[in-house]
Amino acid sequence: MTAQRISRRDFLRISAAGAALSVLTGCQNPRRWVTLEPFVSPPEQQLAGVPTWYASTCRQCPAGCGIVARIMNGRAVKIEGNPAHPLNRGKLCARGQAGLQVLYNPDRLQGPVRQEGRGSRQFQPLSWDDALLSLVSKLQAAGDKVVFWLGSTISGHLYDLFQRFASAINAPDPLVFDLYTAFNGYPTLIQANQGQLPAYELGQADVVFSFGADFLGAWLSSTRYGIEFGEFRNQSLGKRGYLVQFEPRMSATGAKADRWLPLRPGAEGLVAQAIARLIADQGAGPTDRVERARALAADVDVGSIAEASGISAEELGRLAQIFAQYDRPLAIPGVPLAGKDQAAGIIAAVQVLNLIAGVAGQPGGQELPPAAPGLLLKRPAISSMERVRQVIDQMAGGQVGALVVYGANPAYELPDQAGFAGALAKVPFVVSSTPIIDETAVLADLILPDRTYLESWGYTVVTPGFGEMIVSSQQPVVGPVFDNRSLADVLLAVSREIPLAAGGLPWADEVAFLKESLGQLAGSEDPERFQADFQQHGGWWQKTAPALEAPETSPEKARPLSPINFLGDEQEYPYYLHLFMPTLLSDGRGASQPWLQGSPDTNTTISWQTWVEISPVTAKRLGVKQGDIVRVTSPAGELEAPVYLYPALRPDTIAIPLGQGHTDFGRYAQNRGSNPIHLLDVEAGGAGWVTPRVRITPTGKRAALATFENQVGVTEGFINEAFPGR
Amino acid sequence: MPELPERKWTMVVNLDTCTGCNACVVACHAENNVPIVSEEEVVRGRAMHWIRIERYWEGEWPDVKARYIPVMCQQCERAPCEPVCPVYATLHSQRENLNLQVYNRCVGTRYCQNNDPYKVRFFNFFDPNFEGLLKEQLNPDVTVRSAGVMEKCTFCVQRIRRSEEQALVADRPLRDGEVVPACVQACPTSALVFGDLKDPESEATRLVRGNQRKFRLLEELGAEPQVYYLQSGHSAVNE
Repeated sequence: MTAQRISRRDFLRISAAGAALSVLTGCQNPRRWVTLEPFVSPPEQQLAGVPTWYASTCRQCPAGCGIVARIMNGRAVKIEGNPAHPLNRGKLCARGQAGLQVLYNPDRLQGPVRQEGRGSRQFQPLSWDDALLSLVSKLQAAGDKVVFWLGSTISGHLYDLFQRFASAINAPDPLVFDLYTAFNGYPTLIQANQGQLPAYELGQADVVFSFGADFLGAWLSSTRYGIEFGEFRNQSLGKRGYLVQFEPRMSATGAKADRWLPLRPGAEGLVAQAIARLIADQGAGPTDRVERARALAADVDVGSIAEASGISAEELGRLAQIFAQYDRPLAIPGVPLAGKDQAAGIIAAVQVLNLIAGVAGQPGGQELPPAAPGLLLKRPAISSMERVRQVIDQMAGGQVGALVVYGANPAYELPDQAGFAGALAKVPFVVSSTPIIDETAVLADLILPDRTYLESWGYTVVTPGFGEMIVSSQQPVVGPVFDNRSLADVLLAVSREIPLAAGGLPWADEVAFLKESLGQLAGSEDPERFQADFQQHGGWWQKTAPALEAPETSPEKARPLSPINFLGDEQEYPYYLHLFMPTLLSDGRGASQPWLQGSPDTNTTISWQTWVEISPVTAKRLGVKQGDIVRVTSPAGELEAPVYLYPALRPDTIAIPLGQGHTDFGRYAQNRGSNPIHLLDVEAGGAGWVTPRVRITPTGKRAALATFENQVGVTEGFINEAFPGR
Repeated sequence: MPELPERKWTMVVNLDTCTGCNACVVACHAENNVPIVSEEEVVRGRAMHWIRIERYWEGEWPDVKARYIPVMCQQCERAPCEPVCPVYATLHSQRENLNLQVYNRCVGTRYCQNNDPYKVRFFNFFDPNFEGLLKEQLNPDVTVRSAGVMEKCTFCVQRIRRSEEQALVADRPLRDGEVVPACVQACPTSALVFGDLKDPESEATRLVRGNQRKFRLLEELGAEPQVYYLQSGHSAVNE
């Protein structure tokens, strides 16, 4: 609405135009209803038929995209990207749009529940007062032996409160771990980039070499990298960027690449080192690059890397030439499963290419994040696998009195071999705040369902901000659907009852705390005014000069990487295992949302199912066909799932998507497919995952795949012998 | 009542930048109340997506390529699905070149689906099941179709109407880029462009006019589809 007042005559004219038009088109004209609404007492800013848009922040992954929610009559009916938001510029990925089904999920808890006997799934509702009393007494009993296990998508203010609470009661700093960040290698990427996630501005690059980074899928930000990719292909003066993708299984990014090079799993770092070596040896490209290459490239034998990776020496030579020649080359390190145990070395090897090219720290290259604005605003610090191991060991050793889980689902996300369930049994009190009963909640005593992100307050310090400092705002776009309390208010209420904590968290409620945290951004502006603008526009951002310091990678020569370790004997387990994160279900958190379950996976077009990708070459040798159910066995575990013949996969590798295999988590997720994470092992005492080899055994059972092309179901009906019960 | 101008709504799909991310698919489900069908029904070939990403494998190991083509109703000028409808539920809007579907006329003969070369018409074999609270997510601008009714992509006709009305009320012509279907709005790489080919200055016209990369699906059938695809390009890199 404009500020102009509308006279009664204008008003009638508008409605007349609306009415006439609706006759013409034969469609219902929503505006007509506006004029008929009796003005009894409409809710603030709500007119029937006229949408209101509220800006907030997406929490379906840690990226922090700005969203606007379309509200009709108090209901959220659509989520779109916030056009003013500098990170995602009005665009939004499939997961972000499916957020409505987090809010309106039919399996949401309607209030706190207690479980008598862990694993019994007998949940008794109780009042918030009783729930809080119980929480207070259990936390007091646990003293300083409380562990807070948080997910990476937590709002900054809530993370801040958890930290303050933990430090007030002398408990250890909260642990931030979920599969999304762990599997995607966030901890290692952060470590390699001075404590922050890097941004790769491929929008202006000439040539991009991606070492297993599925940046168009569920990695750092599928929306922002989608925007960057659009620019990369449509540069000024008709220039079109050239993408080379190294990975054993063709991802969506690989499918868009100009060259897809299926190297042996885990050889990404070796290939990067070979290319650096070749730039030095061939002397192709500008002299400054060749000089840097001579100083930095590791002394590796290109011939043996060619053999180990499966990419010929001539090919590597050509690639080195391309990378050295063009103005703006860029190398992006993915952190695929194979080689997770030496991920830091692989990232460094890829980083050396950016240093040679001279694009590290340059706009249009690898941007180094500016310091986070304001000291009081918090960003969850992703914990390492080492810390996770330590906490599990403490739990198993009876040194943890209470475990508080928020926004994470470790019972689903960790391999059986990590021993989480066993360790949890030794913890006297477990509380979860999941809005839907998930695998971890089934092992908990008390569930205090938090409001979903579309009903909550908060902020996110967006990193990387791609050259801008961004604090994205979060506000409720609708009123709470159920009688659920925000966990921040729960924490503040609890802290008032615990003497140690009371002094550390003096705020009356969540909003008061949030206002104080955000006040520092206001500067000289009136804080109330700032707060209103902050919520209305979706956040606060500022262009900054890009940091021009090169990353602190040792200026001396890099050391050659050692070969990747695989778990399991080559004879007994002949195939490499390549797990990947599907774009829609990501780490499994999307499985409760029917839009994500029912939309097809890009490369296989499969929905609702888990499948095992096998190269047609291998399938022929094994005598298995599309839809045959096979057993995949690793030294750590096994699963059964139907075969999908995947032409763009190495014959020595088996690929399986994450995301399914929930035993709980609502009707859309439950008892559907398999969770391949249990095929993995977590290195004892180490910092990473161990990649296993696997073997394949046909089971003689069949399933009709839920694909576009499937013919079996049309002629024979529904078959899925993997789940005879269903 | 002012005369509304003639239009030729069209979609331009840049296959060079489509990454198959499915943002358009979910956006369409949300905007148009398209139901999600169960695993059992998908297996029987009854999946419903007004827009879908078709993936084509080309070549054999190791020289394999995957190509993505987003396919929605092609809004044909001479649509094969139209003349076979016995009840005029499927009909053409000459003024704006849209292929309309009138749900409350449809009697479910499925002739149109049979005649549709692009397989972009979807039949409601059952009433849609928006369980529990999921009903709250429904867009009130779009009818929820019941069992026995055919449905398909409308180019988000409700958004076209809303924008046209807003322009009419403000007494100004509709601007290029003002009408944004849900799929186009969502697309991160901006691979989808929507516009009026009657407007010589629109971005869609600019992309289509004289573009060597453009083609249309199954053009040889003569249905005059109004969705233009732009083939993948090549980089100036010595391979």
